[in-house]
Amino acid sequence: MKNTLRVERAIKNITQGELAELIGVSRQTINTIESNKYVPSTVLALKIARVFEKPVEQIFLLEDGD
Amino acid sequence: MKPHFLFPTWMRWLGLCLFFVHLPVMHIWDMYHIHSAPSDTGMFSSGHLFFILTIVLMVSGLFLIAFARERIEDEQIYQLRLSSLRWAIFANYAILVICLVFTTNKADYKDMLRLNLWVPLVLFIIIFRYKIFRLNRSLKPEQ
Repeated sequence: MKNTLRVERAIKNITQGELAELIGVSRQTINTIESNKYVPSTVLALKIARVFEKPVEQIFLLEDGD
Repeated sequence: MKPHFLFPTWMRWLGLCLFFVHLPVMHIWDMYHIHSAPSDTGMFSSGHLFFILTIVLMVSGLFLIAFARERIEDEQIYQLRLSSLRWAIFANYAILVICLVFTTNKADYKDMLRLNLWVPLVLFIIIFRYKIFRLNRSLKPEQ
């Protein structure tokens, strides 16, 4: 699964730390999600989508191998 | 995330204190041979009470260190905690089975029980801390 978190963050102009604080996780978690090392739970994905005011599918996308 | 029961973060330091208090107490035990007389084998014999005191100090110390909440306890930390616990249990049972296979002296079974009191917790703490260390090292600089 890939994501457009970095781009969305750049559009909204917020840092990893700020996003982490908004959804109540650590900056490390945001960093690992952005580098595709960690797949967030549905709850966390929905929280991220709510911050960017976009549907989850626009931020998290399935890849061919998934 | 649904909150899971863990001790408050400051209890980790309390756990460390308890664990380090247990070390000199154990040393005193060895130095002065505080053993009860052979006839004194009751629940409240001095030797047994001292043994229980040191074991309780050590186990509660390790328990608090292992299960104190991280500063930010999110789902990724929870996942690391779970996988560390799994590895600790695997390793502990491997050690236990090896000990059982190679133990023929019945007196050694008491040592195995003592070993089993702290090995799973110590393994868990080491694996969990190592995983957090590796996670922090693998972070990419923010872009």
